[in-house]
Amino acid sequence: MTLAVRDLSIRYGFFVLLVALALFFYAAQPAFMSVRSLVFVFQSVAITAILALGVTGTLVVGGFDLSIGSVAASSMMAASYAMVIWGWGTTETVLLCIAFGLLAGLLNGLIIVYGRVPDLLATLGTMFLLLGLQLVPTAGRSIARGMTLPDSTTATGSFDPSFLALGRARLFDVLPVSVVVMLALAVAIFVFLEFTRWGRVMYAIGSNEQASRLAGAPVARYKIAAYMISGAFASIGGILLAARVGRGDVSSGNNLLLDAVAAALIGFAVLGAAKPNAFGTLIGALFVGMLLQGLTMMNAPYYTQDAVKGGVLVVALLFTFSLTRRAGR
Amino acid sequence: MDLTNVTRRRFTRLVIGGATALLLGGQPAIAQDRPAPFDKPENVSIALVRYLSTGDFFQAYLTGAQEQAKALGVELRVLDSRQDAALQADMVDQAIALGVDGIIVQHGLTESMTAAVQRAVDAGIKVVAFDVDVENDQVPQIEQSDRDLARLALEQAVKDNGESFEAAYVYVPGIAPLDRRDETWKKFKDQYAGIKEVAQFGTLDNPIANSVANQASAVLRANPGVTVVFAPYDEFAKGVKIAVDEAGLSSDIKIYSADISTADIQAMREEPSAWVATAATNPQLIGEVSVRALAMLLAGEDPGHNVVVPPTLVTRDMLLENDVNNMEQLSQKLPQFASTDVAKPEWMPTVGK
Amino acid sequence: MTEGETGAPPVLEITGLERAFGQNRVLRNVDLAVSPGEVLVLMGANGAGKSTLVKIIAGVLSPDAGRMTLAGRPYLPARPIDAVGAGLSVVHQQINDAVAPDLSVAQNLLLDRLCSGRTGAIYSPRRARREAETIQAILGLSLPLDRAVSEIPLADRQLVAICRALAEEPKVLVLDEPTSSLSQREAERLFGIVEMLKARGVAILYITHRMSDIRRLADRIVTLRDGRITGEFRPPLDFEGAVTAMLGAPIQRDGEAIRTGTRPVLSLENVRLTSWSRPFSFTLDAGEVTAITGLVGTGKSRLAEMIFGLGQAVSGQMRLMGKPYTPRDCGAAIEAGVFMAGKDRATSSIVPGFDIARNLSLPFLRHRSRAGFVDRSGERQKARRTIADLSIVCQGETDDMATLSGGNQQKVVVGRWLAEASKLLILDEPFQGVDIKARGDIARRLRETAGDRATLVLVSEIDEALEVADRILVMSDHTIVGDHRTGPGFDLSRLLAEVAGDLGAAPVHSENRLESAAG
Repeated sequence: MTLAVRDLSIRYGFFVLLVALALFFYAAQPAFMSVRSLVFVFQSVAITAILALGVTGTLVVGGFDLSIGSVAASSMMAASYAMVIWGWGTTETVLLCIAFGLLAGLLNGLIIVYGRVPDLLATLGTMFLLLGLQLVPTAGRSIARGMTLPDSTTATGSFDPSFLALGRARLFDVLPVSVVVMLALAVAIFVFLEFTRWGRVMYAIGSNEQASRLAGAPVARYKIAAYMISGAFASIGGILLAARVGRGDVSSGNNLLLDAVAAALIGFAVLGAAKPNAFGTLIGALFVGMLLQGLTMMNAPYYTQDAVKGGVLVVALLFTFSLTRRAGR
Repeated sequence: MDLTNVTRRRFTRLVIGGATALLLGGQPAIAQDRPAPFDKPENVSIALVRYLSTGDFFQAYLTGAQEQAKALGVELRVLDSRQDAALQADMVDQAIALGVDGIIVQHGLTESMTAAVQRAVDAGIKVVAFDVDVENDQVPQIEQSDRDLARLALEQAVKDNGESFEAAYVYVPGIAPLDRRDETWKKFKDQYAGIKEVAQFGTLDNPIANSVANQASAVLRANPGVTVVFAPYDEFAKGVKIAVDEAGLSSDIKIYSADISTADIQAMREEPSAWVATAATNPQLIGEVSVRALAMLLAGEDPGHNVVVPPTLVTRDMLLENDVNNMEQLSQKLPQFASTDVAKPEWMPTVGK
Repeated sequence: MTEGETGAPPVLEITGLERAFGQNRVLRNVDLAVSPGEVLVLMGANGAGKSTLVKIIAGVLSPDAGRMTLAGRPYLPARPIDAVGAGLSVVHQQINDAVAPDLSVAQNLLLDRLCSGRTGAIYSPRRARREAETIQAILGLSLPLDRAVSEIPLADRQLVAICRALAEEPKVLVLDEPTSSLSQREAERLFGIVEMLKARGVAILYITHRMSDIRRLADRIVTLRDGRITGEFRPPLDFEGAVTAMLGAPIQRDGEAIRTGTRPVLSLENVRLTSWSRPFSFTLDAGEVTAITGLVGTGKSRLAEMIFGLGQAVSGQMRLMGKPYTPRDCGAAIEAGVFMAGKDRATSSIVPGFDIARNLSLPFLRHRSRAGFVDRSGERQKARRTIADLSIVCQGETDDMATLSGGNQQKVVVGRWLAEASKLLILDEPFQGVDIKARGDIARRLRETAGDRATLVLVSEIDEALEVADRILVMSDHTIVGDHRTGPGFDLSRLLAEVAGDLGAAPVHSENRLESAAG
């Protein structure tokens, strides 16, 4: 009986928490419960969630990617640069950004797999590299229509309306495009990780790399692929960011990184998975989004938000590492 | 500011400038006419020790400082601590060790900078500080008047919306300029009983606009009666604008802010745009004034303890009327934005023209 | 057993020692005594309980029951440092655990002193060097004191570890398989040191199953098998008797014929595993189970890894089904039909967090999926069949691997590679940490399915080889030194001699007895 209670609490505890929290916010602020409100929670976490889904891929192979924040920030700059300064169209710009993300991931993968640099250090290096590099083309300026370039000419391009629509338009007047992209990517990575043999091998590599190698898996290629997925997802996040903000903002993207990692780690606790998983990551991101949304509506000061985020993360990690482990024994 | 005095000074300068031009065959004032040490500017070096550097404002500030240094012909070393307070203090010491003649401290924390600046002053180095109080009588404070910024924007808000409205306010305490702007906001609320602050929010999470947009969406839904948002920092205003656009409320809500950049100009010009006015000091001008104030100190002149660079109000209508698309055009079309006579003795060379 | 061979009263005395891990009783009522100036050799096969015994003596583990005395006083070390303090030093088999590779030799020699804080806060390198020199002078060594330990050869590292142990002037020195990775010459140097220590009155507990060591050093032999002391041998020492006591009587395979191969599958031609070892050749035939036996560290795993695409031979070539075979990685080897279950299932085979079915299907996911999507029901069905074939004890195919016993985990590992047809199946130490019942099940299944493929089993225990193989190759010093067929005419003593690396030295008179033991 007690065992059943514990099992149930491990599997569904997080959902109970989610619902309880929603009810609490509803009681405190009735505007919290509405379709628009719900859609908004999704929208506010869309970019973070996309990054988190990408980093989930690297967590699955037992790695980590600290560079996602700066990949997203650089991708935002690249998108803005392509449109405002080169006058590119939407399609080319999106392709450029994704290619850039894949390239950043490839670089990470090569450094980690063939350079034998530990993942945290390698991606930390890439993070700094990109933070600096993204500022080079504009000499540290943000990119906006009509901006003055370092050579004191004026930029002639502008953001294509169809590009801006990626961040601003709504499907059926309800669902923002960014949310649709997030859901599509979530489903794609979920299906990929859970149901395909490639996803299965990625989990195997993360769990026991040597055993996977001896079972014939091309471990190096899988790891590099995982970082490329992570890079591509981060760059898609950057595209949506550029489309929402409508300019190439100079930013480190470090908050994106931290929020995304928190979401992925909270995801470990969802359904008692105790491992990185796409569904959990999405729920984790939504959980954080809902929390912040509710707190803001209740006029909670900004510094409570980080504290609450941290608290949730700690609880989720305790869920994962202490409760599930003990049950496994 | 004493208007008559300015006029007189300008007049004198015109006369002297004209006379020099005549004497030197149309050449602008050259180094020999300037007080020591600027008669041999190649021997003068000054350091700019920065706390904040990323972003348009700081980029433009740097440009202004560089241009003015170039006009003077002095060497400008830029030391960038990237928001590391301890490093910034070390950099002041580094500058002392480098043997610079003067130091500009750009932002920073009072706690870490006071002692470092005192060491520099003790070493006989002239120091000016921008937007950081280093608690030192010998160090002139360069300021953009944050109170004036807030006042200009809020006066416009009252002009547009009357003396009674529901407002949301974006604020993060602990940031000196925002705190000063906050004082003005509090005064305004006291002054006009009809202004109701129904929500306060704000964050400095990177990218700021994106994070503020998320918060603003929640706030606007929780408080549908809001018609004015006071967002006295352009990143905040941009975030609020995103949220307002997403909520389809562009014509129901007006955003008043402070600071400006090319990107801000574009955002304000959008059709429709809730961002109707911003009060701004040209950051490039502040950069120029910082160098000029330091130069005056080096020449043995007194720029005054508080060197205030006055702000300008920029409204959406002005931008549309004058077809202003970027900062350069703003400077061209609104002369009060382009130059200032603050800290400008007659011998001081003018930037890049 | 109260008195050693020297006649002096024992310095370390152990009585009634018990230790269990869960259900598994690893040590059962073990009595042991060592006297000053005596070399007591403790022989035991893998899994006999030697390392548990050493760990208890060293203070790493605590016993469940039993009593120990050291120099007449009750001895129950709670931590390794207590053992050292009481006058007992252990040199573990894993030399790299006993040295800090990045520190210098001198610093390593003084590690115990440095760690125990007996040196004071400031310790000058010069003083360290002086003390280190004193320590190594005890053994008459001249190690390069300033070099980092990671830069000196393995044999020297071991001397550092021994030196370090002796720095504390122990009354009892425990050496756990000290020669397992030493060459003959290096071993000889070690023997000299052991004899010197013995002359000084140090009691030495020497753990090994290497015959040459035993012949050279032993004053007395005690054998350990399945956690029990199975024999004590005093001079004149009966070495073959000790081997039999250690291994037990080789199990007779019941009712099954020894098979001979039908056609060659893999042939190795003039292969050299290292630049200094002799080249060798052999051919593996389909339908035959071949075991390669030999002591730990003689190159068996290296050979297996080479065939499986994990490394390359220094010279020579391989042919698979008559065609040249040079796999570039494991994937290529598997593609070519060469499968391998690696040594130490926890690191080489088992994926924790995967259930049984997922562990079984790992190498063959491509065959278990359609358009990239894993056919989960097909996978589970196949898993249920494997569970039945190998009598894996579990609730079902979705059980987590962690819930299985060692033997059943090993069955899953072997089952993984039996699920698909192979040309050659290599199993590296498949019986490690496996109980008798599971071992029998695995051996039976291997032989049942051996028909169309060649099977190569690498074992260091001879009775395991005898249980499973039709043919036994003996490996020593990274080369093949013997080729035997089990069944009539099998010469166990010759095999033992080949394993021990001293061919021809085996006493002639013992041959008959061993032959009868082999059946």
